[in-house]
Amino acid sequence: MSRNVLNVPEVCLVSYRTNMEKEFQHHLSRMPENSAIKQQKLPAHRLHFSNQAIFTIFFATGAFCFCIGIILLLSAWKVQEIEINYTNICEDCAKMRENALNFDKQCTCSIPFNLQKTMKGDVYMYYKLYGFYQNLYRYVLSRSHNQLMGKDVRDVKDCAPFKVTSNKIPIAPCGAIANSMFNDTIILSYIRSTSEHIQVPMLKTGLTWWTDKYVKFQNPSFRNLSDHFVGTEKPPYWQEPIYELDTSDPGNNGFLNDDFIVWMRTAAFPTFKKLYRRLYRVKYFSDGLPAGNYTFDISYNFPVTKFQGEKAVILSTLTWNGGSSIFLGLAYTVTGVFLWMSSFALMAIQGKMRKKKLSHRR
Amino acid sequence: MSRSWLLCGMKPLQGSTHFSLGNQKVEKRMGCQQSLQSSEVLKVRTIYINDPLKNTFCTNSISTTKYSKWSFLPRYLYLQFSKAANAFFLFITILQQIPGVSPIGQYTTLLPLLVILAISGIKEVVEDYKRYMADKVVNSKTTSVFRQNSWHVIKWHEVNVGDIVKTLNEEFLPADMILISSSEPQSMCYVATANLDGETNLKIRQASLEVAGIIKEGQLVNLDGKIECEEPDRQFNNFVGTLYLRGKSPISVGPDQMLLRGTQLKNTQWIIGVVIYTGFETKLMQNSVKSPLKRSQVEKVTNMQILILLLLLFVISAVSCVGATIWNKMYLENIWYMGISGITPHNHVFDILVFIILYHNLVPISLLLTLETVKFIQAQFINWDEDMHYEQNDLYAMARTSNLNEELGQVKYLFSDKTGTLTCNTMAFKKCTIAGIIYGNHSDNTDDGNENLSRASFCEFNDPKLLENFEDGHPSSEYIKEFLTLLCVCHTVIPERCGNDILYQASSPDEAALVKGAKKLGFVFTTRTPYSVTIEVMTETHTFEILNILEFSSNRKRMSIIVRTPAGHLRLYCKGADTVIYERLSKDSLFVEDTLKHLEIFATEGLRTLCIAYTDLTETEYQDWLQEYKKASAVSQNRIQRLEECYEIIEKEFLLLGATAIEDRLQANVPETISTLLKANIKIWVLTGDKQETAVNIAFSCKLISSTTPRIYLNADSFEAAQQTINHNCGDLGNLLGKENDLALIIDGETLKYALRFEIQKKFLDLALSCRAVLCCRLSPLQKAEIVDLVKKHEEAITLAVGDGANDVGMIRMAHVGVGISGNEGMQATNNSDYSIAQFRYLEKLLLVHGTWNYFRVTKCILYSFYKNVVLYIIGLWFSFVNGFSGQIIFEHWCISLYNVIFTSLPPLTLGIFEKCCSQKSLLEYPQLYTVFQTGEMFNTKVFWIQCINALIHSFILFWFPTKMLEHDMILRHGYTTDYLFLGNFIYSYVVVTVCLKAGLETTSWNRFSHVAIWGSIISWILFFSVYSFFWPIFSVAPEMTGQINMVLSCPHFWMGFLLVPTTCLIQNFFWKLIKNTYKRGLLEEIQELESRKDSILEHSEIFEKRMTAASLAVSFSTQPCEIFFRDDSVDLSAPHGYAFSQTEGAVVTQEELVRAYDTAKMENSRISKRSSDFSEIF
Repeated sequence: MSRNVLNVPEVCLVSYRTNMEKEFQHHLSRMPENSAIKQQKLPAHRLHFSNQAIFTIFFATGAFCFCIGIILLLSAWKVQEIEINYTNICEDCAKMRENALNFDKQCTCSIPFNLQKTMKGDVYMYYKLYGFYQNLYRYVLSRSHNQLMGKDVRDVKDCAPFKVTSNKIPIAPCGAIANSMFNDTIILSYIRSTSEHIQVPMLKTGLTWWTDKYVKFQNPSFRNLSDHFVGTEKPPYWQEPIYELDTSDPGNNGFLNDDFIVWMRTAAFPTFKKLYRRLYRVKYFSDGLPAGNYTFDISYNFPVTKFQGEKAVILSTLTWNGGSSIFLGLAYTVTGVFLWMSSFALMAIQGKMRKKKLSHRR
Repeated sequence: MSRSWLLCGMKPLQGSTHFSLGNQKVEKRMGCQQSLQSSEVLKVRTIYINDPLKNTFCTNSISTTKYSKWSFLPRYLYLQFSKAANAFFLFITILQQIPGVSPIGQYTTLLPLLVILAISGIKEVVEDYKRYMADKVVNSKTTSVFRQNSWHVIKWHEVNVGDIVKTLNEEFLPADMILISSSEPQSMCYVATANLDGETNLKIRQASLEVAGIIKEGQLVNLDGKIECEEPDRQFNNFVGTLYLRGKSPISVGPDQMLLRGTQLKNTQWIIGVVIYTGFETKLMQNSVKSPLKRSQVEKVTNMQILILLLLLFVISAVSCVGATIWNKMYLENIWYMGISGITPHNHVFDILVFIILYHNLVPISLLLTLETVKFIQAQFINWDEDMHYEQNDLYAMARTSNLNEELGQVKYLFSDKTGTLTCNTMAFKKCTIAGIIYGNHSDNTDDGNENLSRASFCEFNDPKLLENFEDGHPSSEYIKEFLTLLCVCHTVIPERCGNDILYQASSPDEAALVKGAKKLGFVFTTRTPYSVTIEVMTETHTFEILNILEFSSNRKRMSIIVRTPAGHLRLYCKGADTVIYERLSKDSLFVEDTLKHLEIFATEGLRTLCIAYTDLTETEYQDWLQEYKKASAVSQNRIQRLEECYEIIEKEFLLLGATAIEDRLQANVPETISTLLKANIKIWVLTGDKQETAVNIAFSCKLISSTTPRIYLNADSFEAAQQTINHNCGDLGNLLGKENDLALIIDGETLKYALRFEIQKKFLDLALSCRAVLCCRLSPLQKAEIVDLVKKHEEAITLAVGDGANDVGMIRMAHVGVGISGNEGMQATNNSDYSIAQFRYLEKLLLVHGTWNYFRVTKCILYSFYKNVVLYIIGLWFSFVNGFSGQIIFEHWCISLYNVIFTSLPPLTLGIFEKCCSQKSLLEYPQLYTVFQTGEMFNTKVFWIQCINALIHSFILFWFPTKMLEHDMILRHGYTTDYLFLGNFIYSYVVVTVCLKAGLETTSWNRFSHVAIWGSIISWILFFSVYSFFWPIFSVAPEMTGQINMVLSCPHFWMGFLLVPTTCLIQNFFWKLIKNTYKRGLLEEIQELESRKDSILEHSEIFEKRMTAASLAVSFSTQPCEIFFRDDSVDLSAPHGYAFSQTEGAVVTQEELVRAYDTAKMENSRISKRSSDFSEIF
């Protein structure tokens, strides 16, 4: 590219209607205040490309984009992904949850499925919500950063409309986001044989950004976590208080609960995925999820049908570039093709113009 | 000015500068009444001489500042918030203070607004301080005043009404005064009024003889009395007052005793006057109304666009509000996660306010500030420009306002004053023809050094051949002697010895030039006594007895003098216009044909010519005539006419000697500049208060019209006649009317008065616009303004007026751009102008280089500012479609606010300050380039909308590409999921990159600042992003940003998109640019390409010629001779006869009185000693 940049230093151009030498001496005599900037004679160059250079640029960029596009597409195709939408499968539970009075009733739902090919490497389990607007203005605002930092659990300033309970007791964690936390439990079982149902080992931690776990979310420094939340109330839609979210792992409780932190990072779109679990690669699963039959055992708590939403669970492997999204690959490929086409178009136009010029000269 | 005019009340407005055009008639009537009924003026001011305590009038200090210490804040805030954009942002700021309304924080608009107000506030203060300092310089000039029985030197602002002031030669008068006495005989004095009315010749003022003797201290102390006069008004030539001196009968004083502030004392050692009007009450200041606020075309269009954008903003807000309502209806009831209060929707007004705040940045808040900064620096570039530095006076060009910079690039009509603007207002005896031999031709080669030209003395005549012929006894040597003798004798100049040298005082610069010319040739005019003139030729002195002076008038176009030669013969010497002299030549006259040919040569060069002739009279002939003359002189009615008839009798049977050619010296490079400006398709109109002949002469000499150009003269003395000639000429032009023809239109002030009447105004304008050059002569300042106004109203074009005197103030104010020539004469024009330059020739650079660049820069800067704001803030709208129109924004608050302040603030600045469409060299070499910008095609509503649509496409790509990329959510390592701000940061980064690179694409001239601006802006965002991500929880801002930088930068998708998204946005712009460059190639593109070819600089012009023919230029000048058949006799197709003579007519003192008044022989020895004794007495 730099080859095509021609430098025309304007300083050297003859100055306006004045004797050069005189001007020069004059400049010397009043050098300090008479700089190139003031006289607008800074060295400057003009971007100018020859026809050939333009053609080359277009063509090369096109080729580059095309290659990248193909690479991205190939890597996306390598990803194995299973998505199971369980809104309709667990219709009964869904109906039950529409009535708020049934909040304390349990409802489970089991979804068998077959994995035809082994999912190699790390496998991640996501839940996906359709039609849930985590990006509403008032929803996004409705949280207390100070509370979540563990500074002051009673700080519920920005949490409207879930600041305090009807008894004026501050809610911890307060706000609409925390209150609406996804609370389905999804358990994946591997059916090696009709008799041997193995619960696939999954990790509940390591799901969050480092900064979330170590900067944004902090538990108070009490030995007993529950002590700290004395004087606060759990959010109205929650079944357990914040310090009892993970009974199996005491460290995964309070504001530092990974599921909670993941949920608190509000999604950009009404349809979004959130990381739920990751495969613990031991025993049968050291290479990933082997092919075979599986079931999802879901304890169905989170109502979505009320707002015409849907829920799904996803198992997926990842490559260097993430999941199975082909958009970027497609975009690159299309741009590459477009650039090629336009470089040909430019060539055609220039050819035409040249002919025109030649005929003019004749 | 003519006394008769004032008395008969026909033309009282001449010389006044009145601006309210509507009041013109009223004003005239008032003028008449005042001058007719002198004693019955309603308002009278009484001034007590020598008794300052009794006079309570305003002080003599002037102030042109905009603010005072106390009025600054309220007035400044009022001015700022009367701008629509600022008021809008104030409104937004106030809205943001309502809790819960603003989705983007409370102070995000307030802070930038404060910064903007502070910066423009500082600019205002600096500008006002400069004005204050300029006033201070004027106010602290010194003059001497008679107080407490002695002369004191005081500053101008201490001068009071009633003070007795003494002013010395060449000084400016500090206030309006009544002349009491002067150093000259009969208490005359000369003043140069060019500053007020633009007239070349000096005016004579004469004190009332009753008070004239008062010059000594003793008499001044005893001077006791009062002056009653009218209240101050703005009419230069009206004044009525009465002087009551104790023990004397009242003395009436009029304009002839009036000395005005702004005039300069000439050829007079000193004068003493009583101050009557001071400071703002002086006629000069009464005429200086505060400049109207001029706004450039670009600014008007921009304001329009801002309004459109505001409208768009409301539309978008309304749409979003409707969207929100629909969405809420459909979903809100079922969204349990929003709680109970989420279900109760806010009212619509509240919603709309939220959206207005959300999108309000569509209107770029920084645009005004950016423009102010850019224009300020552009103005500095003009101020700093060494090419517009007039070294002789050490004057730089000065941009007095910066908001018209871009207007300079679009000028279509240039209205120029003549005296002092095109010409230097100095006359030089350049050439002559004696006995059929032309002299002074070879002096042409001295023209080249333009620096020398303006510095040269009055006399340029330098032809040794003349003296050789005279001394070597050439056959024509007798004629030469007679010719030079005539130049020495026939005039009204007063000689004044100053050491060994003789200075000449003359009210007519032409006569002074001739006498000086003769002096240089050895014919020295030494002494004038009331009845004789002594000249010195080759150490011999000859004394001519002056018998009669046959005065000059514009009717007669000649002056004669009857003398008795040293040898005792009676002889009549005459000089005058060729037409009148040729009519009166005797049959025996020789060299008639040769001289005529030479006259034509002179005239085509634009020299002012005078024919020189004489005749011998016999004693009886003279005595007979003398009887007639005495009779005529005694007549009281129509005396002037009778005298002229009487002169006619004796002025006959002339013998032609030759002719003189005087150069009304043009300023340096005027013809070149005019031809460049004409090439740039700028139409030049010359508007002058001077005579028609002079104006035509100048038009020839500055090559505005050539000798082949047919000239249409419009001289009519009635409305009907004017209408008829205009119609006739319009008819003759036929189809060519409305096109540009190689014609010149010459009109005088009287005719113009009729032509500007509503009925034929349009027709006159059509005719004038069909001519390549228009000369308007004998115009009052008001008429100058009227013409400019006429063109401004009827033509969609930018007008520029350039002038140097107070008489040009009207048109300078009226025109879109007013340019003042600063320099010799006062500061009136300069103070009222938008730009001041020292020389007319600097217009070339000012318009072609600065104008073009500024226009190019400002338009690019504005378009780009709109573009970048639309790109970013429309993304908010796109995001609304996926968040249920809830008002959530996708970016962090402060990132949004700092977008205009930091991340994209530099590229518009560099575009506005350093961008060049092409180099200065090309702009000056190809003035045709100017036409590219003149049409305003670079910036209009269409261009604006194209840019907006482009921005819309970009914002679409910039939002939806990242959206689609992230929709899948699984993009981070370890399967981490993201949030809305993660997307926001993607988009924001892409926006900054795209917008900065777009600036790079717009930049045609890259210098180091462009690089800093473009790459620096991108880097500044990345840096800010990095630092800002670690703010929380140390500072309690932006908790959402925590950790974003790590995740964003470690995401492969981000880098993939980083390459792809800006490329897809910009590739289309690049593509269209290329297509346009190949298909719709204009002159500008051709020259840009030429410039970037380093190797072929030498071949530039050659290639250019080739391409010029290929690229069809919009402008073509009809150079073929005009083939119109003119029936009207007002059209002059013949070669011009230049005649001009700047003699004052009908002055206070007639030419005869003037000549008879001086006795320099007596003064010669006594005068200097007397004067010095006067001085010792005075000081």
